[in-house]
Amino acid sequence: MQYNGGSIVAMVGKNCVAIASDLRLGNQALTIATDFEKVFPITDRIYLGMAGLATDVLTLRERFRFRVNMYSIKEEREIEPKTLAQLVSSTLYERRFGPYFIEPIIAGLTDSSKGSQPFIASADLIGCLNFAKDFVVVGTAEDKLLGVAEGLWEPDLEPEDLFETISQTLLNAVDRDAFSGWGAVVHVITPDKVITRTLKGRMD
Amino acid sequence: MECQFGLSGNGYVLLAASTTAVRSIVKMKHDQDNIKVLGPQLIMSYSGEPGDTIQFAEYIERNIRLYQIRNFHALRPSSAASWLRRQLADSLRSRNPYAVNILLGGYDNATSKPHLYWMDYLGTLTNQPYAAQGYGSYFVLSLLDRYHNPEASLEEGLETLRRCIDEVEKRLVVSQGKYIVKVVDKDGVRVIEL
Amino acid sequence: MDSSNIYKKSGFDFSNQIRNNFLAAKGVPVPKATSTGTTIVGCLFKDGIVLGADTRATAGEIIADKNCEKVVNPSCCGAGTAADTEFTTALISSNLELHSLSTGRKPRVVTAMTMLKQMLFQYQGHIGAALVLGGVDVTGPHLFTIHPHGSTDKLPYVTMGSGSLAAMAVFEAGWKAGMERQEAIDLVSAAISAGIFNDLGSGSNVDVCVITKERTDMLRNYIKPNERVTKERHYKFTRGTTAYQSENIRKYIVDESITYLTGSATTATTAEEAMDVS
Repeated sequence: MQYNGGSIVAMVGKNCVAIASDLRLGNQALTIATDFEKVFPITDRIYLGMAGLATDVLTLRERFRFRVNMYSIKEEREIEPKTLAQLVSSTLYERRFGPYFIEPIIAGLTDSSKGSQPFIASADLIGCLNFAKDFVVVGTAEDKLLGVAEGLWEPDLEPEDLFETISQTLLNAVDRDAFSGWGAVVHVITPDKVITRTLKGRMD
Repeated sequence: MECQFGLSGNGYVLLAASTTAVRSIVKMKHDQDNIKVLGPQLIMSYSGEPGDTIQFAEYIERNIRLYQIRNFHALRPSSAASWLRRQLADSLRSRNPYAVNILLGGYDNATSKPHLYWMDYLGTLTNQPYAAQGYGSYFVLSLLDRYHNPEASLEEGLETLRRCIDEVEKRLVVSQGKYIVKVVDKDGVRVIEL
Repeated sequence: MDSSNIYKKSGFDFSNQIRNNFLAAKGVPVPKATSTGTTIVGCLFKDGIVLGADTRATAGEIIADKNCEKVVNPSCCGAGTAADTEFTTALISSNLELHSLSTGRKPRVVTAMTMLKQMLFQYQGHIGAALVLGGVDVTGPHLFTIHPHGSTDKLPYVTMGSGSLAAMAVFEAGWKAGMERQEAIDLVSAAISAGIFNDLGSGSNVDVCVITKERTDMLRNYIKPNERVTKERHYKFTRGTTAYQSENIRKYIVDESITYLTGSATTATTAEEAMDVS
């Protein structure tokens, strides 16, 4: 987990969710890239973030894209967030005895016919799901993020307020983590739009 | 001990790799070309475990060539990088994996843009304006942070490259000897004498 | 090798193993999985079984989840590696359903217990699931513990997990044969509470599940002794606090205009009502 570094956080707001990651890609202590995104869109309203070993992040991004495409072709509908969570979980548990070194976070809204309910979940590297109602965190700054989020998060934040809360949570947590940082990217998902913003961060 | 770095500028990518082949404490060779030309507008420099590097590079070279023969057109840099990454990631899951680190430079004729990819033996892939591998990277990366200009002309790019080589020569305990430099741009691949 | 076929054989996939051993040798250790340092209990009463669990999930020294569900399946509580308990019980409950469909009989608790122990024994303890299994079938109420290596116990009151000692102390002091329903629920709650307050691996709330011949009642968060107090102040940031370098907004509602290419020579452009095409 510490080999490449990186952290992700997702939060629930009022009829919206937000997911944010830092942008560092390291090789132990050496920073290789400062534009390495760890959060990927799965559908218009579902984003999947993966923190951990970068090669596995890339491999699994391809794998999940493939499996989600197969799902939409077979079922002739878009995947739902909780279905994706189970898909991620079983993909990871399949490798119970030779895992991928990543921890995933899923953030999204349910289908508009189901009321666009916010959904977040995280899992450990072998796919044990954690459905939280407030926030989920993974990565090298996990413990710091947990502390900051616990203090700053509050229920029913509007999209713009949620943006501030998640951004401040991430920036302040990664500032105390040597392996994460170098800027951040935040996605705020609402029923009618997705706002993606690139944040300025400390560069040390 | 080998050192390789690359940088992109206005419409080109430069790759430089040290030409010294080392075994234990002995310099075995000082004219080794560690930059393979994979296609009309694609070059790859490699370093790592001595046996693995050449075996892997030749495997890549020939398969990229095979693709070109079969499909009547060359792979674009981003596709080549994805395929190369997959080869490394799959190799890592085999009984004797290749320990090869790669810089891939290419010019995409479709978008008229140069691309430079950094890749390590684990299959970590990232697209960068400048990149370095080996012990030299510790000196070169900070230098490039300061002097790299994405709009630089080829002459200016070469000037920056010379700075890098000089810095490694000055600060690294082990002398790297000569470098081979190749450039890829809209006109194809050329070797450049520094 | 990591091929494009998703219709592959069931079971575990070991294709990352060689790489992970290689990485471990290079100094990239296998990260720790979430484990539930837990208190889970079960006890017999007059009409059936009461199961209980705390709701803390830990990963190392941090609390991964403050209110997780350890009564995984309405007849089973899990301790140990969280993913293992989850997937093992899901698999067995699925197989049990198929079994009861093919035999045309209601499943028995011993059947579930045997399937679980056979699976866990087969994996020689590598699947770290420690379970308390309870239920009522035609032969009456049964309560089992199943250990990761596949050994089982059948007892009138059982505890498992890191808080098992604290919980067992409560049972030893308070359990008696033929208890009433409420008596049993209270005893189980007391046992879980002992785990919550005396064991660091257990915490948060008490989940209780009452299984009788007629029905199963899941009393989620039966006691919440560790409610978080409401914040006295808001910690909202004023909008615009965070500086950002770039912004990209993807709007999903689009205005659709239709251009008729056939029919009348005049091209009519109609601005339709905003349509949700997402």
